[in-house]
Formats: sequence, C-alpha cells, structure tokens
Amino acid sequence: MTAVSWAMLLQFAFAGLAAALALLPAERIRSVLSGAASAVMSAVGVVTGVLAMNGVTGGLQFAVAVPAVPLTFAPDRLGGLFIVLASVIGLLVAVYGAASVRGASASRTAWFALPLFLMGMQLVPAAADAVSFLLVWEAMALGSTVLLLAEHAGSSRVSSAAVWYAVMSQLSFLFILAGFGVLSAAAGGTDFSALSAVAPASPPALLAFVLLVLGFGSKAGLVPLHVWLPRAHPEAPSHVSAAMSAAMVKMGIYGILLVVVRFFPGGPDWWGIVLLVLGGGSAVYGILQASVSSDLKVLLAYSTTENVGLIVLAIGASVLLTAHGITAAAGAAMLAALLLVVSHAVFKVTLFLAAGSVLHATGERNLDHLGGLGRRMPWTAAAFGIAALGAAALPISSGFVSEWVLLQSLVHGTRVGGAAVSVIVSIAMPIVVAVVALTAGLAVLTFVKAYGIGFLARPRSAAAAGAHESSRVVRAVLIAGAAGVVLLGLVPGPLATALVSVLPASGTPIVESAGLLGVNLPGLGAVLDPLVLVILTAVLASFVIIATLRSAWRNPQRIDAFAWGGGGERAQPRMQYTATSFAEPVVRVFDDVLQPARDVEVTHAGESRYLVNRVRFSQSVTDIVESRLYRPVLTVIDRFGVVVRRIQNGSIHLYLLYSFAAVIVVLVVATL
Amino acid sequence: MLVAFVQVALFTALAPLLVGVTRQVRARVEGRVGAGVLQPWRELRKLLMKQPVRARGSSWILRAGPMVVAISSLVLAALLPLVTTVGGRLAPGDLFVVVSVLLIGAVALALVGLDGGTAFGGMGSSRHMTVLALVEPTLLLAVYALSIPTGSSNIATIVDARLATPAIIVSPVGLLAMAAMIIAVMAETGRLPVDNPTTHLELTMIHEAMLLESSARDLAWLEFGSWLKLTVLLGLVGNLLAPWGVATSNDPLAVVIGMAAAVGKVLVLGAILAVAEVLLAKVRLFRVPELLAGSFVLAFLAVAVSAMVS
Amino acid sequence: MTQTSYAELIGVCAGALLLTSVLTVWYRSQRASVRALGAQGVALAALVAVVAIDRAEAELIPVIALVLVLKGLVLPWVLTRRRTPAAGARAGADHGEETMLLNPVAILVAAALLAVVAYAVTWPLVADSLSPAAHAAPVGVAMVLIGFLVLLTRRRAISQLVGFLALDNGIATVAFLISGGVPLLLEFGASLDILLVTLILVVFSRQMRTVFGDTDVDRMRELHD
Repeated sequence: MTAVSWAMLLQFAFAGLAAALALLPAERIRSVLSGAASAVMSAVGVVTGVLAMNGVTGGLQFAVAVPAVPLTFAPDRLGGLFIVLASVIGLLVAVYGAASVRGASASRTAWFALPLFLMGMQLVPAAADAVSFLLVWEAMALGSTVLLLAEHAGSSRVSSAAVWYAVMSQLSFLFILAGFGVLSAAAGGTDFSALSAVAPASPPALLAFVLLVLGFGSKAGLVPLHVWLPRAHPEAPSHVSAAMSAAMVKMGIYGILLVVVRFFPGGPDWWGIVLLVLGGGSAVYGILQASVSSDLKVLLAYSTTENVGLIVLAIGASVLLTAHGITAAAGAAMLAALLLVVSHAVFKVTLFLAAGSVLHATGERNLDHLGGLGRRMPWTAAAFGIAALGAAALPISSGFVSEWVLLQSLVHGTRVGGAAVSVIVSIAMPIVVAVVALTAGLAVLTFVKAYGIGFLARPRSAAAAGAHESSRVVRAVLIAGAAGVVLLGLVPGPLATALVSVLPASGTPIVESAGLLGVNLPGLGAVLDPLVLVILTAVLASFVIIATLRSAWRNPQRIDAFAWGGGGERAQPRMQYTATSFAEPVVRVFDDVLQPARDVEVTHAGESRYLVNRVRFSQSVTDIVESRLYRPVLTVIDRFGVVVRRIQNGSIHLYLLYSFAAVIVVLVVATL
Repeated sequence: MLVAFVQVALFTALAPLLVGVTRQVRARVEGRVGAGVLQPWRELRKLLMKQPVRARGSSWILRAGPMVVAISSLVLAALLPLVTTVGGRLAPGDLFVVVSVLLIGAVALALVGLDGGTAFGGMGSSRHMTVLALVEPTLLLAVYALSIPTGSSNIATIVDARLATPAIIVSPVGLLAMAAMIIAVMAETGRLPVDNPTTHLELTMIHEAMLLESSARDLAWLEFGSWLKLTVLLGLVGNLLAPWGVATSNDPLAVVIGMAAAVGKVLVLGAILAVAEVLLAKVRLFRVPELLAGSFVLAFLAVAVSAMVS
Repeated sequence: MTQTSYAELIGVCAGALLLTSVLTVWYRSQRASVRALGAQGVALAALVAVVAIDRAEAELIPVIALVLVLKGLVLPWVLTRRRTPAAGARAGADHGEETMLLNPVAILVAAALLAVVAYAVTWPLVADSLSPAAHAAPVGVAMVLIGFLVLLTRRRAISQLVGFLALDNGIATVAFLISGGVPLLLEFGASLDILLVTLILVVFSRQMRTVFGDTDVDRMRELHD
C-alpha cells in the first residue's frame, strides 16, 4: 500500500459518504453535506493526482470481475495530470453546487449522481487495464446523464438533449469497446502495458486507432461527433455543464493521448494528419458557431468544441512532427496540447459557473436580453471577464501562453537548421497556422460579444435590470477560477515544466523556466516572460495614469448625460446593438459555411406597393452538421424502425417463435 | 532598458506630428491650406483640459478602456525595434506577443464602443472585431513568413538579419510577406481602403463610431492611442523595408542616428500614406473580406514559396 | 553571375509570376486583371532573361523580345482595345465589375490551396535537381492551376481569356525553368497560335456583345435552346 493507494481508498470512502448523504430528506442540509463530501473527495483526488504526477506508483486492485483479471487502478504520470484536472474542477463544482443549487437539481437523485459522475471522472485516468477503464467510463457517462436530466425532467428540450447525449455516449462507448477489443485480441491481454506491446504499424493497431479516435473524439466533442455538446451543455444545471465542459470532455482527450503517447508513441504520420484535420475542422467550425450564437451557454458549449479542436490539432501536429523526426517542435506541440488542456479547464469552469450565476440572477441565458450586468454583478462580471481573456487567448492569461507555445511549435516545425524537411510538413504547417489564427481572431470576437453585450451598456430587459450579485461562496469559487487563469498566464514556467514531466522523457528538455518564471523553449529558441511584460506595462501605464489623474484633478466633475441619441433623449436600451446584430457581419462573411435561414416578410399599407406598414425579418443559424449529416441518417433509421415494428408486434408467441427459429438455425449451423 | 524608454518618448512625441504631417500633405494634395502640422498636439492639449461627459448607465470600461488603448500602444512602442534592435531583446519582443498586444488595444476599444449603449457604438465595434478576426490569419502568416529566414519570431532578430543580408528584403518571400503585412497594417490601423479615418457619416464608420460616446481625456487617450499605433506600425514597416540606420548597439551616437532614421522613415511613409489615401476609395464593408482574403493569399504564398525556392 | 544571386533572381521572378497570377484572381475589374496579365508577361520575359544570362545563350534574346512584346504588350492591348467610342461606352459595364460563379473569398482561398497542390505534386520531381531554376518549377504549375481556376469561375468571355492566357504563361514558365526554353521556332509558333486564338475569341466576344448586350458566357445556353 503506497500513498496513492491510501488516497484512492479515501476518495472511495468520501464518494460513498457523499452518495449516502445525498439521501437525507431536507434539501438544504442534503445539498451542503453531500456537496461538502464531494468537495473533500475531490480534494483528496488532487492529492492522488499530484502524487501520481510525481511518479509515486501504486493503486488499488479489485478481484471482482473475471476471476483471472482483477480491476486495476494504478495511475501513471500522465494519468495523474488528468486526475488533478478532474479533481480541481470537481472541487470547484461541488462547492458551487452546494452553495447555489435549489429545487429540481438539488433532488436526491441529482446529489446521488454527482459523486458517481465526479468519482468516475477521477478514476478514468487511473485505470490501468481496459476492463476497469470501460467500467469507470460508463459510470461517468451514467452519472452525467442522470445529472443532465435533473432539471425540468418534463421539459421537451431537456429530454431531447438527454436522448442525444445518451445515444452519443453509448455510441462512443461502443467504439471504445471495439477498439480495446481489437487491441486485446492482438495483445492477448487487457492490461495497458500488454496493449502497448502491439506494433504501431500493424493492422490491429491501425484499426484500433480509428475506432478509439472515433470513440474518444465523440466524448471530446470533435466535429462531426459534437452534436450532443451544444444540446447537453446548455440544458444541464450550470455546475454540471461546467464539469462536463471543463473536465469530462478532457477524458476524451486523455483517451486520445493514451493511444498516441502511451500505447503507440511512434505512430505513422497519417495519424497526425487525421488528428490535424479533425482538430482544425472542429476549431474553426466550433468558433464560427460560437461567434454567431446568442445563447450564452450554447456559445460556451461551441467554444468548448473549438478548444478541444485546438488541443487535438496540437496533438496531431506533435504526432506528425514526431513521425518526420522534428523532435524539438513535436515536443513543444505536445506541451502546447497539455497547456491548452489545463488552461481550457480553468477558464471554462469559471465561464460556465459565471454564466450559471447570471442565469440564476436573471433567469435569462439569451444575450439579446442581457446587458448592464457589470454594475449589478461586479464580481461575476470580473470573473467572467478574466476567464474570457483566457478564452480569447489574450495576455496575460493561461490561454495566451498555450496558444503562444502552439504557434511557436508550428512555425518552427517546417525547418530544421534552415532547410525544409519534408513536403507534407511544409504544406501542413502554413495551413494549420492559418486555421489557428482564424480561430484566435474569431474567439476574440466571440468573447468581446459575450462580455460586451452581456455585462456592459444598459440592460435590455427588466430581468437584467433587476439582477443581483450571487452569494459569497459562489463569488469565492468564481474568483478562485479567475485567479487560476491569471496565475497560469503570469507565471507559466513552473506549470510548463510540471506538464512536461508527465510526458515520456526525451533527449533535450522541451521547456525550461526562464527569467521571472517565464517559459523558454530551448529547442526552438523562443522565450516568453509574461511577468517582465507586466512590469514594463506597469511602468508605461504609470505615465498615462498620472496624466489622467492630473486632468481629473483639474476637471473633477463628470456630467452624466444621456447616450448619443441624435440630440434627444429617445435612445432606448432596446435600440442598442444586440448579440445577434453584433454577429451579423460574421454571418454574412461566412454565409456559405453557416447557411443561415433568413425570412423577410413585408406587409404593405393599403394598396400601395411603395408604402410599407411593417417589415418582419427573422434569421436563424442551425448546426448544418446536424441537419445535413445526422437528419438523413435518423430518417433512414426511422424508416427502419417502422419495418421493425411490424416484426415486433408485442405477441409473446411470435417472440417465442423467433427464439425457436434462432435455436434451430444455430443447431443447423453448428452441425455443418 | 533606457534605450527602450528613449524610443517610447520619441514615438510619443512623433505620433501627433506624424498625424499632423499626413493631414497637411493630404490637404495640400487636395488643394487646401491645411491646419498646420502641430494641430494634433493642440487637439490633445485641448481635450485633456476639458470636462468629460459620459453616458448614463455606462461602466468603468468607458474610463479605463481609453487608457488601456493608449497603454497598449505605448507597450508596442517599447517592444518593437524602432530606434534600436537592442531594447527589443530585453523584453520579449516576440512578434506573436506584439500581435496580442495589438489585440488588447483593439478589444479595449471595442468594449468602449459597446459600453456607451448606443446603436452606432455597437455597430462600430461589431465591424471592428469582424475586420480584426479576418486580419488575424494574414498577420500571423506574415509573421511566419518573416520568421523563416532567421528561424526566430523575435522581431529584433528579424530586423538584424535584414540589416546583415539585405537580399532577404527583395527575396520573393520577403516581398510577398511585406505586401500582406502592409495590407494587414492598414486594416489594423483603420486606414483606407478598409476604414475612412476622416469620415463624418456614421453608417460608414468603423473606428470613429466607437469614439462617439467619448469626450475630453477619454477621447484624448483613444485618439492618442490610435495615432501612436499608426506611428509605431509605420516605423516597423519602415524598419522591415529599409533597416538601414537602426542602432544595433547602445552607443549614444548610434542611438541618435537611429532616432533620426526612425523619424525620417516614419514621416516619409506617412506622406506616402497620405498621398495614397487621396487616390484610394474606401472599399464597401462586405468587400473588405475579399481584400483581406487576397492579402491572406499573399502571406500564405510567401510561406509556400519559401519552401519552393529553398 | 554567382550561383546565389542567380537563385535569388530566379526567386524574385518566380515570386512576381505567382503574385501576378494571384492578382488576376483577386481583381474584380477586368481592366485591372488584364494589367496584371501584362505584368505577368513582363515578369516572364525577365525570367527568360535571367535564364539566358546564366546560360550565356544568345539565341534566347529573340525569345525574350518575343515574350516581352507579345505577352507583355500586344495581348493585353488586344484584350482592352475598344473598337469605336460608342461601342466603348456601351461596353463600359462589360469592362467593369466581374461577377463570379463562386464566393470570391472562396476562390481566393482555393487559389492558395492550388498553389499548395502544385507544390505537392511537383516538388518530388524536382527536389533532387541541383538547379535553382528547376526548384522554382512548382510556381509554373501553380500558375497553370490558378489560370484554370480563373477560366472556371468567371462569367465574362474576356476574363476567361485572361485565365487562358495566364494558364499559357504557366506552361511557358515550366518550360523555361525545367529545360531552359523550347527551340525558338516552336516558341514562335506557339506564340502565334496563342495570338490567333486570342484574336478570334476577342472577335467572338464582340459578336456576343452585339447579339446579347454583354459577354456573360452563360448566355451561350440560349443558343442551344
């Protein structure tokens, strides 16, 4: 029994406690106690993860499944990182949940499902064989489905979201099952160390790669397997969507890393191309949809697809570069992927929880009806703003550091010592840089929209005007998240070196801490030192601030006047730009990709063609992947269902007949 | 470090002068007398002495945003190798960092536009952000292309390399990348043909529409920030096109020569800009993506060509 | 001429050729794209001149002159020439804005991708060659593909001609870069063919304009109906 084993045992104990406390009758007590137990469980999970990251081995074994093969949970370093991630998110989410949820999402079922979901997520990276991996993976999926259903169990949107989610989860599970099945058959065992003995270029490994990427990609929300994401995230209670978006989606990433880092570190270069295409497509498509979305939580959900896309793109770049022997850039790309994973987890949990506070305070998630929340909810607004900086990859946030490392690895990927190395890399890198740049630009637009429309200017509805700041605990959680975003962006050196330590060691170091805790990529000759940048900015800012103060001292008075209204007082709040109008230029520029449905309806006054009484304009952007790819398939399945219904008419005798026929067929086949 | 501050001070003083010169050149070309090259200075002084008027319901963004715009331009002036390539090495003068500092200023400006709570402000910031998002690929690919000959995205190293081997400047990669870069800079600074800085028609405004709600010192910072950004970016283009004169050491004489060279390059480029703007017409807003796509193709080809003719 | 400056000059010419062929895609105005085509002709002549100087081949001088006069001057002049002032005024709309079959941004991005395709397919063939000229051959292939793109996506006859001529320039570029040019007689014959084809097509488009009022080639379907 090592420290890891003890910590994991403690985690199990607190998970059980949280589940038991969830059965208490009084809602308030149940929420506080069960939430606290889940929080403690996650805190212990952080310890487990940190120990595993530092190379402490050990874990737990359960000899329950097949007698010969015990279930093994023994995290390695990479797993440790993801345990820390899931646990930190779990901690924030559990505290937020305990402090804020009421009504349906505080039901016994919901509180029972939360520890199941969180524990499942914390165990997935600890699993050391395929069977236990699949078991906890399913626990995670089950817990999240129940939580998704918690609120308004009768509402059609929630139930439709739950159906989509459940189907896509099961589909993903099937692919993963098939992938592990193929590998186990080739390796002759389910243990991960046995699986990694399969040669990367052998047919089973290639088949398994395709199956596992499909399965994990669906969980991660990659286009075109992302359709559950923009449905499930918005409909789930906010703390659950935060956990799903910040942590659960990352388990898909962990799965992909498992394949390309742990099992088959030397995969062929087309694996990299596949991941680049999947990731790049998801990044651009996700951010485009996010930029035109007016629903705050849908916007955040699509932004998750974008970020996951960037992560997979970084992994793909690393695989491709490794296959072509460009090791320095490949290492930096992998570091970028891990930095993006951490950074996205931190800012996205903050964004979703802040959006939850907004929803709680106003009952609105439509940005077109929000506005002016910055004055009414200053703490929430500040946390959202800082996390939005991370999402837009602006300095000084964690998002900026990770995109910087990603761009550096891509830019230095084409050449080694001044000479182009390979045609495929020379072609891929400029395209990838362009994709990343377009994504970054649209991400800035998206989050300027989200913050500027939601939190600035004047409220666009009575609900927004009557908003109030959330409770102290909730504020503390939001501030903790925002502080994380800034801290990782300000002193990225220690984090980067810790992240590199979970990767298999290579010859030259990928990253070093440089200057004032900045990052130095020695293989690429690039240095980023955010703290120096901040000091420089502070010195320069002092001049501007002094000048402003002098001016303010001479002209202290500020006259509050009406906003510019063409000389009158008629500028109503509803005349402000809304989120929809803000995104209008983007919709027009990317008309061919988004294919919005527009409808203009003109009512004429009397008989005249020239006098118009009213014009009604409506425009909606739908997910074309869903309408073009899934709908036709669903229609076919529907038709098939009609046929099946004829065979399956409910008569017991008919079913018995089928079984009888089956037995006969089996007997005949067996004798042949 | 001291040299960096010399550079910031020089460009702070130069920015209003440059705007004055471009306005004056433009006026002369159009057959007007013009207000004199010192007019922008007078405007700034006047604005700083006035009483700010702010919209009801606006937040601290309306106050802090303009300062952020000005500060981001100052940081740019410190990071880029305008007078000397030495200062750039102290702070991380990486081109990706430079682009992100540009973005910070642009975001602050867009938020100021939204915070006023009027239709025009929102319109301006919506268009501004759209143009910015579309410029981003061009800008980063141009950075990529510029970084290829030296293998580093540190802007001071790039300028140094161009000074040492001028062949890089006239190489196809260099020319294509600079063409793309110049279009991107025009879009970033809101000049013709993307945005008309002298327009008085709200419906065609991008940059000016976001300033409508600002007055007095707020407006002063916004104006100063955008002027300084233009000056600094022209200085960068100047040093990339003709790096001669830039100081490569902290030697006082070299720095003085560098200062003179920087002033000369910026003013010449400003005059060229003014004449070009008289000849150019503003592109329709929804033709701007075409213009930017074209510049994107140039930047992309610059990178592709670099692989072809190596 | 040293080897490095030779490589640099080849690179500049190749860059100019690529730039001008992107410009033929980029410009909406027919006049401007014809000007870009003229510039491309001049760049091609410059490329031939560089190759000629490097090889010290005197017989390339007439070829240079031919390319310069024909591709740089005569063909653009033929394309923009107006018969009479009245016809010119009527054709004003025709020389102006080109409407395209696809989203212009998409066409531009497609042009960039075509350049990449050209590079991908040609590079393996020339990678082992030691000559810097051969290394620039992908540029010629890219010009051919981009010319084809213009040919495909434009509606008006004159713009399509621009695409056709850009395509022909691309073929010539590849020929000069890889083999140092074709024999003079062949080059002369090919140029004459191109000139003839262009003249015939220009006359055709004039006819179209008198019949239909513009040169939108989609109108040709009406002949079929």
